[in-house]
Parts: sequence; C-alpha cells; structure tokens
Amino acid sequence: MRPKAKALVAAGSGIAAGIAGLALTALPAGADDDPVLPAIGAEELVTSALEARPPAFDGVAELHNELGLPAVPGTEALDFESVRVFHDGDEGARVQVERQSSELTFVKNADEAWAYDSQENAAKRLTWDEADAAAARGHAESELADPSQAAAEIIERLRPTSDIFVDGTARVADRAAYELVLTPKPSEKTLLREITVAIDEETRVPLRFDVYANGASDPVLSLGFVEFAVGAQDADLFEFTPPEGAEVEATEADDLEKAAGEHDAESVEQRTTTVGEGWDTVVIGEAPARGSAGGSVEGGQDLTGMLEQIGTPVSGEFGSGSHVQIAVGGAIVTEDGRIAAGAVPQQVLVDALDQQ
Amino acid sequence: MTQSSVVTSPVQGTDPPGALPARRRAPIARLLWAEVRWIFRRPRTLVVLGLLATLPVITGIAVDLTVNGSATSTPSGPIGPGGSGPMGPDGEAPIFVTMVTSAFVLPLGSLMTLLMLMLPLTVAMASADALAGEQSHGALRGWLLAPVARGRLLVVKSFGVLVVALVAAGLVVASGLVTGLVLAGTDGLVSMSGTELTFGDVLWRLAIAIAWATVYLMAVGAVALAISASTEHPMLVVVSVLGGLIVSEVLLQFSALDWLHPYLLPTSLNSLVDLIRDPVSFDGLGEGMVRALCYLVIGISLAYARLTTKDG
Repeated sequence: MRPKAKALVAAGSGIAAGIAGLALTALPAGADDDPVLPAIGAEELVTSALEARPPAFDGVAELHNELGLPAVPGTEALDFESVRVFHDGDEGARVQVERQSSELTFVKNADEAWAYDSQENAAKRLTWDEADAAAARGHAESELADPSQAAAEIIERLRPTSDIFVDGTARVADRAAYELVLTPKPSEKTLLREITVAIDEETRVPLRFDVYANGASDPVLSLGFVEFAVGAQDADLFEFTPPEGAEVEATEADDLEKAAGEHDAESVEQRTTTVGEGWDTVVIGEAPARGSAGGSVEGGQDLTGMLEQIGTPVSGEFGSGSHVQIAVGGAIVTEDGRIAAGAVPQQVLVDALDQQ
Repeated sequence: MTQSSVVTSPVQGTDPPGALPARRRAPIARLLWAEVRWIFRRPRTLVVLGLLATLPVITGIAVDLTVNGSATSTPSGPIGPGGSGPMGPDGEAPIFVTMVTSAFVLPLGSLMTLLMLMLPLTVAMASADALAGEQSHGALRGWLLAPVARGRLLVVKSFGVLVVALVAAGLVVASGLVTGLVLAGTDGLVSMSGTELTFGDVLWRLAIAIAWATVYLMAVGAVALAISASTEHPMLVVVSVLGGLIVSEVLLQFSALDWLHPYLLPTSLNSLVDLIRDPVSFDGLGEGMVRALCYLVIGISLAYARLTTKDG
C-alpha cells in the first residue's frame, strides 16, 4: 500500500502544481480590484493630462480589434500583435510594431526620424530644419500655453453632443488610472456607445483607449499598454543606423509639408463634405480607388467585385450603391463613385447622401 | 564504492525483516553515462540526429538558390508576405526577413520550424525507448530488479532524454550557423529592428535559443516518459505525443478558443522570434519557459507515480 499512496501523492501534487502554474500564465494582467484614488473632475483631469510631459518610460501596448473589418488589401498595417514603446522623456522615441514574423521600427531623436520595415528591408529617413522644428514646438507650446484653457475649450466643444465625466478608476498595465468617459447624447444617431480613456494617476499619460459599440459589452477597439515602466532609457535606443544592404530613402520635412500642402490638404478639403455634426457626422467624398481605376480597368473590377462580396446593395434618391457595415459604423460606395462614411447606421448614411 | 559497506542504508531502515540486507547503490554518474552511451549506440538515434543536422543545410541552400534565382525577376524583396515561403517542411515560412540565409536567422528559423514536429518526434522516440521500449523486450526488468531505487531510475531515464533534447537542439542550431557562415559569411547579422549585431550578440542569442528549446523539448519528453511508463508499446508513446502536439496546433488556429491557448504547450513557440528583435523582449520567452516547466512537473510526477507502482 505504501508505494501506492506515495505514487498517488506524487501524481496529485505534481498535476496540481503544474495546472496551477499554467492557470497563472493564463490569468489576464490587471485582474485586481480597481484602485482607490482621490476624486477628480473631468475638466481637471483633462487639464492635468494636457499639462503633463511624458516621462522617460518603456512599455508594451496591445491592440484588440473587434471592428469586423472586411479583409481589404491595405489594412495589413493593422495586423500586428503588439507594440513596444520607448521614450526618453524628451525628443527621443522608439516604437516597434511587432508582427508575427517581421517588425516595423520607428526611431525619432532630436535631429532625424527613421522608419524601418524588416519585411522589405527598407528604411526611410526624415530630417527637418532646426528652425522649423523650434517654431513648430513653440507653436504647439503656445497653443497649450494654458492647459486649463485648452482643456476647457476641448470640453466646451464636446459638450453639445456628448457627456464627458470621470467614471471611477481602473488598473491598466498594473498602474492606477482614472477612466475618462465620453458618451454621445441620446439625440445622437450613432452606433457608438462610449469612448473611454484611462489616464495614469501618477504621470497623467493616457494608458488605454477603448471604443464601445451599441449592443456589445466588450470594447470593439482597445489600444492600451499592458506593460508600462517609468525609468531612464538607454540612449542607444534612440539612434538608428540602417543595416548594410537596406534600401534607404531620405526626405526633408519641408518637401513633405509642401507636397501635402499643395495636393492633399486642399483637394481633400474640396472633394469631401460633411453632413451633420458631433457623433453622427457623415463624411462624403469621392471614392479614390474609382478615380485611379481609370488607368487600370482591372483595379476597378476588383473593387466592384469586392464590394459585391462584402457589402449589401442599397438604393435611395441618391441612386444606388453598396453598404459595408462594421461594428462601429459603415460606408456606402455609390455607383457614381461617391463614398459616404460615418459611425452611424445605414439609414443615416442614406439620408446624408440624399441631402447632398 | 565507499558506501557499499553500509549494511542497512538509512533509506531502507524501515524495511520489514526478511528484506535483502546490504543494498549496493551504483554510483549515479556511472548509471547516467551508461544510459547516454546506450542511447547513442542505437542506430535510430544517430539517423534522426543526422537528419536534423542536414535539414538546416538543405533549407539554407534551397533558400539561397530561390533568392538568387528570383532576385532578377522580382526586385521587391525575395520573400513576399504570405507567399509560400521556401522554409520549413510544412510549407510555412516562420520568419519573413530578407536575411533568411544569414548565420543568425537561418539557425533560429530552422530551430523554430523543426520544433514544431521533428524535434519533439526525436525526444518522444528517446522517451519511448527509455521505458516502454526496454520493457517490451525485457530489458527494463533488469532495471526494476537491480539495486536502483525507482526514483533514481526515473532520474537516469530523464537525464538520457535531456541529453537527447540538448544534443538535437544544439545540432540544429550549430548546423544552421555553419551553413549561414558558409553561405553569407558574417554579413546580414541584422535584427528585425534593423540594428546590426556583432557575432558575439548572435552567439548569446543562439545560446538562449538552444537552452529554451531544450527546456521545451524536455517538457515534451516528460509527458512522453509518463506515457512510456504506462505502456510497453513504444509506438504508442510516439503516436500520443505527436497526436497531442498536432491537436494542440489545430486548437491554436481557432481564436474562439483563445482562453485555452495558455494551457497548450506549442503556444509559446512563436516567442522564439523575439530573439531576432532588438532589444530582446524576454516576456514571451519567460512565459513559455514557465509553461514548459509546468508540463515538465506534470509529466515527471505522473511518470514517477506510474514507475513506483510498476511490478517487475
């Protein structure tokens, strides 16, 4: 009997210890109780968040996406596992977007910025004029010169369409944080239920951003830190030298701004109109793919075919088109090449197109 | 042989009268050495190890030919996203970097690919031979009757499996490293974050990979030993281990079962990729290590329980 009892004890305790250990790795981080923090008003919280300068830190952020986006080419950029962020508290920042088997690395320091894609083995370098950078900093600082003023303005702008308040506390990345909540007024015809931002109590850095849609208890989009540690960072992290053999493309910030100023900004302004305001804003513009499809018939066919697959046909006074629905909104692409999108149900999109 | 003169060993002090007196304990080092020699004398061990050493070479040469062959026709990177990568026996390229043939990525990539099935197969085979195999042709009877405590028998057998795991993982990495050095020299020792690494950097990262893979394989081996102790059909051990791994891999494909994934051993395999990132993030590797150790504890305790109650 004795060896049998011994065997039972060995087997039992071994299995118990093993399964307990496995369960420990399965525990979601931050499952602790909400921390108790001194009460704070929404305006005060926004003010302090605007006031705060990010400390030197390193962290890991994760994106959870339940948007139900159709598998459209070009959205692979959203297909990542986690992001590692390093910040030296001043000019230096490093962001590593980790995909299953490759990585996008962004490095920025006082003089230059780099983007490196390991899949293409290609690096882009961005440099800027010191004077311009100083001016831009000055501009940004003057705009936020009085954070309480800026906070009041932001809240004032949101107030007609939304309720903004602090809804208790949360533990994010094992840190105590306030939950700032933004909900649409009942009159808003939106698919969104609320947007919450968790703001770190100690550093006032936003730690997590959640978007909730109607009819779902879990966030449809959640981007937040799962690890966050304040502390000085290795200076080497904020320098980048492209590896030998990588394609390097260099650009000046000036050129970019000019190009952006001349083409995109203006023409986007001209091409798009908005209907409604607040949460049920609908943006109407020209479908860009249709415009370029003139050159390649194949591309146009692809788009039409794809829309037929993922969308549902709609028609109204505006004509007819396809409606594509995701968790937080939708878009209608009309036959005559317009596109209307917003965080709203299909009927609001149709109405907006009819009004135009 | 110093303790051979002890008439009643303290462990056996409570034996009922009439039990054999003077149990001679063989020195553990000799037992371990004998076990290792026994394992490496089996032709199948050598054949499998030889195959494992060849695969990184084949991968390296095949990728090198593909890359050089397609470089003229497709200038946009030799390996397209989601394309049928040239790596891996199961048609899946675990690492999409342009440096596939470098002395850094080739050994790690080969290790990751082979860790899916080939290396666990090797370890399962060694575990199957260790207990079930010996029992099936009567060799274990000698062990069970010999003056060796069952606990020590398990230590000896586990050590044999550990050596196989270490040698197999080390062989794959070494073969990949040498192939990479021959094909690309010390060029292209680049992390996925775009930083160039020194040869020393590469070596310590590869050493961590070998150590991690050994623990992972030992977890597989422990479970295999538990099954091995409960049957006398070595084939059953190999089949159950491979079946378990394949089922786990299938379950990992379903995102609806993601609550289950932390309990599955192969979940942690992908974190080996973190060794190619710079700076290395040890979170995933650490978690994988904990997971492997949990499996190890479960496997060894079950094997111990079964072995101590086994009749000669």
